[in-house]
Amino acid sequence: MNIWQAFKMAFKSISMKKTRSFLTMLGIIIGVASVVIMVSVVQGQNKKNLEFYEKMGDNKINVQAFSYYDSGDSISQGLYDYCLSLGSLVLGITPDAEVGSTVMVQYGAKTLPVNDWDSGVNIPWEDQMHIKLGSDQYGVCNNYKLAGGREMTYLDVSNGNPVCVLGSGAKEALFGFTDPVGETITLNGDPFLVVGWYQPMDIEYWPEMDNLIVIPYTFNRTLNQNSSINSYVVKARDAQSTVEAMTRLDAYLSGLFPPNEFGYSDVGSFGVSSDNNYAQQVESQSMMQSLVLGAIAGISLLVGGIGIMNIMLVTVTERTREIGIRKAIGAERKSIITQFLIEAAVICSIGGIIGIAIGSVGTLIAGKLLLGMTDMLPSAFITIGAFLFSVVLGIIFGMYPAIKASGLQPVEALRAE
Amino acid sequence: MLIDIRDLYKIYNEGKESEVRALDGVTLQIDRGEFVAIVGQSGSGKSTLMNVLGCLDIPTYGEYYLNGTDVTSLSDKQLAHIRNKEIGFIFQGYNLIQELDALENVTLPLIYQGVSVFEREDIAMAALERVGMAERAHHRPSEMSGGQQQRVAIARAIATRPPIIMADEPTGALDSKTGRHVLEILRELYREGTTILLITHDDGIAATARREVRLSDGKIISDQTQEVDWE
Repeated sequence: MNIWQAFKMAFKSISMKKTRSFLTMLGIIIGVASVVIMVSVVQGQNKKNLEFYEKMGDNKINVQAFSYYDSGDSISQGLYDYCLSLGSLVLGITPDAEVGSTVMVQYGAKTLPVNDWDSGVNIPWEDQMHIKLGSDQYGVCNNYKLAGGREMTYLDVSNGNPVCVLGSGAKEALFGFTDPVGETITLNGDPFLVVGWYQPMDIEYWPEMDNLIVIPYTFNRTLNQNSSINSYVVKARDAQSTVEAMTRLDAYLSGLFPPNEFGYSDVGSFGVSSDNNYAQQVESQSMMQSLVLGAIAGISLLVGGIGIMNIMLVTVTERTREIGIRKAIGAERKSIITQFLIEAAVICSIGGIIGIAIGSVGTLIAGKLLLGMTDMLPSAFITIGAFLFSVVLGIIFGMYPAIKASGLQPVEALRAE
Repeated sequence: MLIDIRDLYKIYNEGKESEVRALDGVTLQIDRGEFVAIVGQSGSGKSTLMNVLGCLDIPTYGEYYLNGTDVTSLSDKQLAHIRNKEIGFIFQGYNLIQELDALENVTLPLIYQGVSVFEREDIAMAALERVGMAERAHHRPSEMSGGQQQRVAIARAIATRPPIIMADEPTGALDSKTGRHVLEILRELYREGTTILLITHDDGIAATARREVRLSDGKIISDQTQEVDWE
């Protein structure tokens, strides 16, 4: 008997015993599909968490310093100068401040929603505009990429030129799809020339990342009643530079605000922090989740495997008799084992493929419903892993009766009832 | 000498209290072209004898020469070849594969023999025609009566044209009319030169065989040749 014949026999047997074949497949389908969906959803969630930090930009250091006695200006200027002295460690420095008072933003007849504290009008937070006071390196520091036009220049900032760069949300609200560069908007009636606009950040649940208008920080004094800038964002060159810059900043600020015997300063407070730490935490958290999930996936595959095992073992008697008949009319042991091997492999592969299909569709649906991701697909590694595990298990237990019964004397196999 | 067994034993649970000697020192010679009925009551060892003669089981002790070959020394694979080419089996319980139709059941031994696709359908069909089951070729065992199933089983046994047919209570589950029909087919095969071994507990059926070997408690108690009216 040749291999082609064995294939035909296996297919015949599968199609004649539909219920049993289907039940066997079901174990594999459920096992593979559930593992694929579960692992993919958690991987998707992790990817999303990391994506957030990726969009925010890495190697970003936030520095704050508050003096209890000083008006703040000298501390602020000193910190800015110190940041500049970090030289090649950093790619950019910008004040991190926002206009806190009521601002009317207008372009022609259009007025942007701004919080009007005086009249008590409440604007939904996701529509609120933020007027940021930045340097010419605001985009570099906060990971914004220009969509058109240019950034503010050093001269714009130092001269206090009335120019601005729009976040994508502000650009869309004021200009729609037309090019804003060269147009003039007004902030509380004062004209500002639009010199550029940023690409959207698109961070979910955080639209204020795009609802911003950046103006030179030199306008701080006129637009903010409280005139000192306390926070800066320093963009370091790489992860190592981040650590180095943070250490230096910490040392510098500790010098300005020496700690007393209780560990805090009597003259002011400061903070130096970086998102790199959070990103690392998220990553190690992801690792944890993956491990837990791997365990759950393993258990569900095991359960699926036991299902496969059961249905295969239940049919052992029935199949033992069939094997007895086949042996009695002259089948060699090899022919019988080959037939059963192919039968099990075909059933399990079909089940595995259906499981992957259902798992992929389920992943897409789960991704959309749970994570709002439209393009979430299972990773190849977990898909192939689950598939191989089920198929190997199915083949082992599918072949079990054949290996056992084909070694019997035909008369013993025929006696099985 | 086609079949030559000497001092054959089949012992279950040897040495234990529950020891059973299904065959207890059987010596028997059967020539090519004989029609032998092996008779005995239930438990006499007649089925065990057929299983051993048909290479479906191995004896505990003793010698078995088939066509001069020492069967006890053959490998599993060689035994499979003997079952496939030399012997056709007819069982009391038919032993058809339920999921296959009549034609596929009859084709099965030809597949294991390696007969080509084109030939084996014709051969199997001819065998079915011979037992009068050609119209039922595409029916499954569950759609057939006992007599019809047994005829399909006979077709399967003769499809490879084996020199020996072994039938274990072939009429046991059939009514007398169908039973006579089955016996008629066996006689026809005998006339064509096939060696027939018929295992039965029915003295009436045994009386229609040329030679009657009687078994009791695993031993041969009589072996006689007799006149039969149908020859």
